[in-house]
Amino acid sequence: MNVYLDDETNRQMPLSRRTLLRGAGAALALPWLEAMMPGKVSAAESEGKAPEDSPLRMAALFVPNGVRQDMWTPEKTGRDFDLSPTLEPLADVKDQLLVLTKLWNQASNFGDGHYVKCSGFLTCTTINKSLGIDLNCNGRSMDQVAADYAGKLTPLPSLELGIDPVTTGVDTNVGYTRVYGSHIAWSGPTSPLARELNPHLVFDRLFRAGNPNKGAAQRDRLLLDRVLEDADQLKHRLGAADRQRMEEYLQSVRSVEKRLQNQDAGGATQWQPLVKLDRQSRPPEQRPDAYVEQVRLMLDMIALAFQTDTTRVCTFMFGNAVSGRNFSFLDGVSGGHHDTSHHQNNEDKLRQYQLINRWHVEQYAYLLEKLRSMKEREGTVLDNSMILYGSGLRDGNSHNPHNLPILLGGSGGGRIATGQHLSFGRDTPLANLYAAMLNAFGTGHERFADSTGILPGVLS
Amino acid sequence: MGNRGGVELTDEPIRFEYSSRASSSIMTSPSYNEERIPCGNFDCQPGLLLPTSTVFMASRFAQSVCAPVVVFSLAVIFADLCGSERPFASAEDARAVDSGTDDAGSKGLTAEGAVEFVQSYCIDCHVGEDAESGLDLEGFASAEDVASSIEAWNRIATRVHEGQMPPSDSEMPSQQSRSAFVRWIRDTIYQAVCDDGVQPGGPMLRRLNRTEYANTVRDLLGIPINAGHALPDDGAGGEGFDNAAETLFISPIYAEKYLDAARSAIGHALKDPDDRERIITATPNDKRSPEQAAREVLAGFLPRAFRRPASTEEIDEYTQLFNQVYEEDQSYISAIEFTLVAAMVSPKFLFLFEQAAETDEPTLVSQYEIASRLSYFLWASMPDDELMRLAAQGKLHDDDVLEQQVARMLRSDVDRRGLRRGAKVREFATSFVEQWLGTRALGREFKPDKSVALKYDSELEGGMKYEPIFFFEDLLADNRSLLNLIDSDFTYVNRTLARHYMVKGEFREQPKKVELSEKDHRGGLLGMSAVLAVSSFPHRTSPVLRGKWVLETLLGTPPPPAPPNVPALEETVDAAQPSSLRERLEKHRSDPVCASCHQAMDPLGFGLENYDVLGRWRTVADGVAIDASGQLPSGETFNGPDELKGLLMDRKEQFMRNLTSKMLGYALARGLTNEDACVVESITRKLAEDDYKAQTLILEIVKSVPFRYKQGS
Repeated sequence: MNVYLDDETNRQMPLSRRTLLRGAGAALALPWLEAMMPGKVSAAESEGKAPEDSPLRMAALFVPNGVRQDMWTPEKTGRDFDLSPTLEPLADVKDQLLVLTKLWNQASNFGDGHYVKCSGFLTCTTINKSLGIDLNCNGRSMDQVAADYAGKLTPLPSLELGIDPVTTGVDTNVGYTRVYGSHIAWSGPTSPLARELNPHLVFDRLFRAGNPNKGAAQRDRLLLDRVLEDADQLKHRLGAADRQRMEEYLQSVRSVEKRLQNQDAGGATQWQPLVKLDRQSRPPEQRPDAYVEQVRLMLDMIALAFQTDTTRVCTFMFGNAVSGRNFSFLDGVSGGHHDTSHHQNNEDKLRQYQLINRWHVEQYAYLLEKLRSMKEREGTVLDNSMILYGSGLRDGNSHNPHNLPILLGGSGGGRIATGQHLSFGRDTPLANLYAAMLNAFGTGHERFADSTGILPGVLS
Repeated sequence: MGNRGGVELTDEPIRFEYSSRASSSIMTSPSYNEERIPCGNFDCQPGLLLPTSTVFMASRFAQSVCAPVVVFSLAVIFADLCGSERPFASAEDARAVDSGTDDAGSKGLTAEGAVEFVQSYCIDCHVGEDAESGLDLEGFASAEDVASSIEAWNRIATRVHEGQMPPSDSEMPSQQSRSAFVRWIRDTIYQAVCDDGVQPGGPMLRRLNRTEYANTVRDLLGIPINAGHALPDDGAGGEGFDNAAETLFISPIYAEKYLDAARSAIGHALKDPDDRERIITATPNDKRSPEQAAREVLAGFLPRAFRRPASTEEIDEYTQLFNQVYEEDQSYISAIEFTLVAAMVSPKFLFLFEQAAETDEPTLVSQYEIASRLSYFLWASMPDDELMRLAAQGKLHDDDVLEQQVARMLRSDVDRRGLRRGAKVREFATSFVEQWLGTRALGREFKPDKSVALKYDSELEGGMKYEPIFFFEDLLADNRSLLNLIDSDFTYVNRTLARHYMVKGEFREQPKKVELSEKDHRGGLLGMSAVLAVSSFPHRTSPVLRGKWVLETLLGTPPPPAPPNVPALEETVDAAQPSSLRERLEKHRSDPVCASCHQAMDPLGFGLENYDVLGRWRTVADGVAIDASGQLPSGETFNGPDELKGLLMDRKEQFMRNLTSKMLGYALARGLTNEDACVVESITRKLAEDDYKAQTLILEIVKSVPFRYKQGS
């Protein structure tokens, strides 16, 4: 049985059965998911704070091309708000949701319409204008700051996921390499993090991380030692700039080595999965054009990674900046995403734009509900998560980073005051939200990038 | 053009007296036609090898003869109002547009004119100790000032070109004087840099990209697998290619991925007894201990994996790893397999690594280094046995040998049925063409809307994708004129694409060459459906995108970004009164803010309106007859794609210059610098003299200074 289509799911999901069937191709059954689904938990049951020893997780979901403004922001603020037309799909998780209005990302205000607003989305810094040489985001993304803190507690420090391959070419029109438009996670100023685009490969990583082959670990360490020594030999023959590149590879090798060491160590330091992954539940190889399923599967992977505690930090890109993805799989939509977002106040384009926005929100709702269905100790995984959702620009027609569309789902182990729509003074730094999230995550941060403090009203 | 050169050159003194250049206007040299000496005699490439005086002479020649003195009409015609990235024209251009010379020349700016521009538009803020951004332009008086701080002036050119400066609340120059000023700066920098002699870039250090990794593993193990499928994909940098060193990052995920990929590739290879025997060349027996056997295998494998001879120490090190593993369970095969995996995760395999030069002077790259430079350029894979043998013999810097090797490496045979067989050059054609033209987006970033793509299936998509690739492979392998890219009397189609084009003949799934007649309305890149699709929206054609594509991709003169705060274009759609796309887009051109660039872009795109989203020929769209006529800012008019191609043919020098830049950037696997522009110029000239033969372009690049040399530390 396809779990997407069971009655319970159908009732909870705003997506119609017909849409799903058309998008998914009816043949694609996903029994593997079922194994992953513990008993469903009702919203009422899931309330209440998690015990302190449940791990906290953080994810950030990036949507390209902004939103239709008049359909996004709820009219009323506070606890008593009504969801806007675009946010309606979140009705079932409204109590676990924060809608945040009038945040902006000042550092991404200049440069160009898209790339700056994508690479700078989680860094709150201004990226260098570059076709490649001098590529620099001038900061680190906030997920990586979180991973510094929690990454050593899990097999994978963080997961970077996406759907679209890095967009082809460089944009000579505006003078940026499209690498900028294809990455939101930066472990350092010159290190965008490569993303995994295939759900079944993500699963394999999760599985292996949770099921180390102890016999092989010792051997593998011999191999890695050999590789590290080779890298060292080369490094000594390099100039300073190139040494940095080799150092990146060394670090990459060391991170595998460290994982092997942890697996070997045994005893108290040894990580244990909260839930064991079943190999049978590996997702199917995807048809390349099955966007809808691929998004769902990726969101499932986030849920699995969090549920098993294989990582606590994750980023996901629904699409790259300036994505022209064809959304005609939605009823009533005929254009590409980017083109539609340049609506020029044309009624028909605005209508289609909103349908695309709403579809994305539906996927977000799917993830939140999925996390809520995963019970752990006294609460749910959603109770112990902070799932950020947003775009780097507000309106696709004007490309400015004022009043960004930002949502936060999950109560962060009781530290986030969900169930509200908060509207701030004009141009409150987005970084203030990130400071609040990091703080709730336990990193001890009071500031992040250009923040001026912790966003008021977010922490409970 | 990257600004890397500017960075490197800033602190370097300009070796040659500059005033001789500055004294007369670069742009308006009156004596060009009289004094013209065939540019072929001038070769600015080996400048660094020549004594200084020779370089000086050459540079004087260059200045009076071939330098960008000439005619801006080329770039001007298409890109005048939007400025031109690479406005350097050559003698051939001058001939081509002889009559336009005077007119074009008068659009240029003198140093005095540039000073006047600065005084009028910049100096108010950029003066004195408190100058904005620390940029004090008060003392600016001549071209020498530009030459002595190239980096700063590169930035100024970019900011002015893109309309960021002067700021919108101050007095604005006309679009025309804006471009003239930008051109003057860029020409002045070009002169200064080229007169200084060509410098190569630094030694190469980059990891293999995903394609190269897959091809290399395939050739190393001799098995047809794609070992790179699970690696993260690569972005592009520099001239727009995913082999650019600057954007080949390493994320933490890589080591794990390489380990997996190597394990599964080796595991796969050892399953087949023949393959296994080829890779595991020795096994232990009475006369040979396991260690000796392993040593023998490694002595064969490591040099191929590292693309150079392996030292005794290296073979020892890997033999030691073998021993450690062998001791565990006494299984020879599993231990040697494990050791080979280690070699394939070593940076010595994964990185193209060149030894730093020992002196500060530019140095020839080593024999093995040039073997790899050649093979990754022309095959996107490792050097084969022949290249390695020639490297061992020290012959790879001989011009004759290079010529033979280039011809050999570009070979692609046609079988009895007229089909091109699999050839390594296709990897190059694919990587280069797909990224240059942007057709890699087909099926990825670009998917047609169902409303326009009823018959769109994988065979059609394949036919579309492979048409420009096979076409380019044909030009390379058969050494045809690159002008075929602008217009040709043949193309490559498979069965579905032939139907799509309504071309008659016997075709199957694989693309096959087909002769075209005039009524087919095809020929050249502009008739290829992949190109026409990726420059469209999923649901309709876009003259703007297609026009931009022509300017950017074919001519290398991208328009500047739209100015900030462009007023939204109100598009009233009145159902009762259908309006054509042309009528709606006229608004672009009635608003002066938009007009300056859209006048150059939109007409080019309208010239291609007879092709629908997927490149099918049509005469009516949205119930309105197609009007494919247009007028360029230069005043030239045309009607339909054939005449548009004619106008492109008039600009073939600009086209070739851009193609040469792209190809050089791909070959060097990095973004180009100011200095590389001199090399591009010289190669473009040679190409014109040799009837634009495809192999000439490749060979001239292979023989160029940046390809054969590396910079000292």
